[in-house]
Amino acid sequence: MTEKTVKLKISGKTIQARVGETLVHALWAAGMAESVKVGCAGGVCGACTVTLRYSDGRTGGTELACMKPVEAGMEVFPCPVEADAPVTPVAQPELSHLQSVFPTLDRCTKCGSCTTACPMSIPVMDSVLRMQKGEFQAVAEDFTTCIHCGLCRFVCEDKVKPHNMGLWIRRSLGMSRDIAIEKTEVSVEQEWKYLLDESSEQRLQRARQFRKSGRIEP
Amino acid sequence: MEWAKESLEKLESSRPARLNQSAPIPDSAQAEELLKQYHPDYLGHERQVTVGPNAGDQKFPLELAQLLEGDSPVESDYVPNPEIETDVLIIGGGGAGAAAALTLEGSGLTVHLATKLRLGDSNTVMAEGGIQSALGPDDSPRRHFADALVGGHGKNDPDLLRILCEQGPESIRWLSQLGCLFDQNEDGQFRLRGGGGTSVPRVLACRDYTGLEIMRVLKDAVRLTSTRLLEEHVAMELVDDGKGRVTGAILFDRNAGRPVCVSARAVILATGGSGQIRLQGFPTSNHVGATGDGLVLAYRQGCRLIDLDSYQYHPSGACYPEALAGQLVTEAIRSTGAQVVNAEGVHFIDEMAYRDVLAGAIIKEIAEGRGVKTPHGKSGVWLDTPMVDLKKGEGTLARQFPGLIHRFERYDIDPAKKPILIYPTLHYQNGGIRVDSECRTDIAGLWAAGEVTGGLHGKNRLMGNSLLDITVFGRRSAQSVLDNIPERGAVTLTNLQRFRAERRKIESETVSPKFFPDASGMKLTTDKVEEKPEQETNSSNFEPPNPFNF
Repeated sequence: MTEKTVKLKISGKTIQARVGETLVHALWAAGMAESVKVGCAGGVCGACTVTLRYSDGRTGGTELACMKPVEAGMEVFPCPVEADAPVTPVAQPELSHLQSVFPTLDRCTKCGSCTTACPMSIPVMDSVLRMQKGEFQAVAEDFTTCIHCGLCRFVCEDKVKPHNMGLWIRRSLGMSRDIAIEKTEVSVEQEWKYLLDESSEQRLQRARQFRKSGRIEP
Repeated sequence: MEWAKESLEKLESSRPARLNQSAPIPDSAQAEELLKQYHPDYLGHERQVTVGPNAGDQKFPLELAQLLEGDSPVESDYVPNPEIETDVLIIGGGGAGAAAALTLEGSGLTVHLATKLRLGDSNTVMAEGGIQSALGPDDSPRRHFADALVGGHGKNDPDLLRILCEQGPESIRWLSQLGCLFDQNEDGQFRLRGGGGTSVPRVLACRDYTGLEIMRVLKDAVRLTSTRLLEEHVAMELVDDGKGRVTGAILFDRNAGRPVCVSARAVILATGGSGQIRLQGFPTSNHVGATGDGLVLAYRQGCRLIDLDSYQYHPSGACYPEALAGQLVTEAIRSTGAQVVNAEGVHFIDEMAYRDVLAGAIIKEIAEGRGVKTPHGKSGVWLDTPMVDLKKGEGTLARQFPGLIHRFERYDIDPAKKPILIYPTLHYQNGGIRVDSECRTDIAGLWAAGEVTGGLHGKNRLMGNSLLDITVFGRRSAQSVLDNIPERGAVTLTNLQRFRAERRKIESETVSPKFFPDASGMKLTTDKVEEKPEQETNSSNFEPPNPFNF
């Protein structure tokens, strides 16, 4: 099998890469691993943010290098985004709380850059508008898949911090949940005594039996 | 996927018949046979080591054995002079390390958390399917225990496992109070799913981003504590007081390009797993930093390792497209209805078989010619993802597994319409450092928690027990440190020198830990230029006084 290769540029330096591999693997193979930070290489840690430009005039944009396959003529620029100082969440959050801890919320000019920048396809700008209206449940849903790469904040001309607000809202709602997980249980010690037999062979046998009904069968 | 047209047609034509038909579940003799013949753990790619506390006893995978016998990267003339003095040094920035840091907050102790990458870059953030906790109506921590013990082939440390299962409900409460949003049913109860080897639904999730949800909340919470973060600081070696007790570590500051010695009264090792060692060349679902560093560091100090002949190969790693090779396709998709089907369209095994058995069965199908070959020369079997919507209603897959959809759609694959190709991927280090029920290792001053430890999961971990592990034992290690913190000790390299003397008898050029995947080519380099602005003393640097500064 012959392997097809393409040429692309990383920070102005031309490298050759194998078709089918991601930018991260292309960088590794080219001995340029240190040029882009990599955490998980699986699209969920948000470390490997880059910006892209295409020589053929196609619109570029932002991407995660670990998820983006190489293409001929691609120009790649590392775009690391520093973490922002977090804000303590509050139980029973209200719009006024959000406005006071994120004073730039209402500066959004609806340019849509954040939505374009998001590598997780979150409707970021729409969600910021929902934040302005205090629709927190919907916002929490929007940010379910947020990896906190920070690109939405990085591209915002108005210093709005969508992903930070998304997390603040999610945590605040989570803390407000009333969860009852206490339950009264009977025959607890008797069951442990049964399951924790000294002999490992006996333990395994008993566990096999116990898991069928969740009880000690007579 | 035009190249697989023929097989896809077979799969689609057998689908109506498969829909309400279950596949064979291997009995224990068949399971044993599958494991012995096909599971990578059983193929003899292992050996004993000749130095250290495990010399001459249990076997290790060849790649790991080599690292355990390796020499330290610390220069032989290096003199450890602590630049940082702290009370507790946590090494590892994943879930266990973060849970430990949160537990130490407010204790009055100074805490430093060192991580090779950034806080949160870990296997935790990549976990998809969920976290187990006995919350269902017919469930109890004992039933959870029984399931996990059977899944672990009875080899689990019963005391550790009891703690894990008993602490399940409390851990969910703790995570929820921190702000984790686990999926709920319409009635407001947590949605519980089954997993391979659970006898009742017990797995809580946040869509297929459960680890991401937990990690981003823990990360945010840790950043709000007084914990001092040492990001991009690689743990090169542990140091000791000359009498056997661990008293700190030598870190390598990747940005400054030099070692930094830390004196600590207690060290918690939470460095995670080792999938990036890529045993037998397997793909891995692990993050970039999962190179088993903690095993090597603890071993040189004299800690015994257990059950490291056992690794978990997750049955459903992505096999196509190449760019996604090895990445996890969560087990929850199988528990929601997706079947495992071979190239002939045959549903050859029940998809909820134990992970090790299912991985063996998939490898067998391929070995016997019933796999599907991809254009880049790999083979896999089908995971019939469209079954989920057929069984649970249109839109279920997209709603419950947005991560899966998102990853495949950029390759023009819609898993709701077409199946995906899977092959086992190196997923979890079942064994690790031996610890007692307070997370203490064999060596005083050194605690360990999470994937780096062994014993809890026996020889096979059940889905959803690792996110619970890092929560329960991350917190527990910190509590034990609080209860038992030693006074500050001397900082020496005595244990390392002893290990070095012992390994003189072997011929090995290996330097370990590995720190980064081989493929990355990354190394600890000291030749970096420090990015500090030059101190200029001439007058051109003169700045006029600020006129607004009254």
